Amino acid sequence: MSIVDLTSMAEPEGNQQAKVDEIIKGLREDLSHDCYQCGKCTSGCEAFILTELEPHKVMALSKSGFIDELLNSSEIWTCVTCLKCKERCPQDLAPVDVIFALKNIAVVSGKQIDSGYSNMLQAVLGTGFIQSPKEVVDRENNAVTRDALGLPPMKGPAEIPKLQQVLMKAATETLR
Amino acid sequence: MDKIGLYLGCLIPTEQYAYELAIREVLPELGLELVDIEEPACCGAPLRHINLSLTMYLSARNMALFEKEGLDILAPCPYCHQALSEVKDVMKKNPALKKKVNSYLKEEGLEYKGTIEHYHLLDLLHDQIGIDKIKKHVKKPLEGLNIAAHYGCHLIRPNDIPRPDDSENPQKLETLLKAIGAESDYYNEKLNCCGAHILLNESESALTKTGQKLEAVQNHGFDGMTTMCPWGQRMFDAKQDSAGQTVGASLSVPVIYYIQLLGLALGKEPEALGLHLNKSPVGKLSSKEEV
Ligand code: SF4
Ligand code: SF4
Repeated sequence: MSIVDLTSMAEPEGNQQAKVDEIIKGLREDLSHDCYQCGKCTSGCEAFILTELEPHKVMALSKSGFIDELLNSSEIWTCVTCLKCKERCPQDLAPVDVIFALKNIAVVSGKQIDSGYSNMLQAVLGTGFIQSPKEVVDRENNAVTRDALGLPPMKGPAEIPKLQQVLMKAATETLR
Repeated sequence: MDKIGLYLGCLIPTEQYAYELAIREVLPELGLELVDIEEPACCGAPLRHINLSLTMYLSARNMALFEKEGLDILAPCPYCHQALSEVKDVMKKNPALKKKVNSYLKEEGLEYKGTIEHYHLLDLLHDQIGIDKIKKHVKKPLEGLNIAAHYGCHLIRPNDIPRPDDSENPQKLETLLKAIGAESDYYNEKLNCCGAHILLNESESALTKTGQKLEAVQNHGFDGMTTMCPWGQRMFDAKQDSAGQTVGASLSVPVIYYIQLLGLALGKEPEALGLHLNKSPVGKLSSKEEV
């Protein structure tokens, strides 16, 4: 499974539910054929050690159609994206990409997500970046800026409304 | 290679100033001119949690900007580098998708062709500039220092797309450390994650990952730890105190970007390398090897 299977930017417009169903169907088809629940993904999972996340269970639940249960759980948001599951799966599956897809579905289905993520999206839509240059302090507690450090001014998109428009289009056409 | 486009992403130019300072100070010394381009934006990787197409569009957009200038890219953030690599790979394999992405790019007057290369500092230093050249430039070898290498998950995975080093046994950073006179022992936790990506919503788990790795490095007896990732550096350096509190350990590990160490070995002034901006006790490094 790759990034493409989960995006379908090449797809024409459709309604939102149809898009969600399609992503889910794609997920389940892939999973039902290939994942044999060996658990190797979970054994090396960086999040499993600390949280409830068990990637092999995410795979099993997605395969059996328990998508809503997964969307409503906080587990999928505890993946640290270390990519070890994708690296090590003997079947070349990518639990991490399934988890990303589930998060994308949660967003498009209007589930409550952590405000940190929505703030990041707002920042990119408003400035092109996840945050603006900060004043930081050195070890002696003196406040410093890019300018004070002699760094050149940070460059960014000149036409924000244009960028915003294209981003919104790209995002909605995919998951609608 | 005598010049390269510098793509800093979001985290480096908005707060990880030490990384940017050291990059701008050290690479020209090794004969590489850095070119800033107009109108870069986020690589889109952090938005992948929300919507994968945003990642696709933004990574393609940035590559198109550099392509327009005929410049290869240096992306010193592994998270950016991985997004660029993945999007490049996908568009190579899927012409229909590339066409679709290009139809959006056209609205910003851009086109992605896929004609340029992108590098991270790891492969740029190790494979392009080369160990021999680095060794020739060393004026103050960092003798007597044993430094733990931290690569960062996105720098070496996934291995179905080109990455700067091996996913299970990366060695280039250790080789680079040896090139400037330091040692770098193997440690079991070498490939462990820093936890940065859940700091936003699961801060305690994130800081536990950070603290556990630092504790392992400290217990191993390393003199410090080096990174090549602004996200990992932020966790291990700036958040070291809270990570220590989270795991109940008293941590005092100097954490320093490799490019800063390289700068010291080339005889650069610590301040020009942003060493005063590191929050961890990096002074311990210089007292040990008397820079
Ligand atoms: S490692 Fe692969 S095959 Fe094994 S349980 Fe995980 S996803 Fe399924
Ligand atoms: S990418 Fe996520 S699910 Fe996969 S091993 Fe890492 S933390 Fe676990």
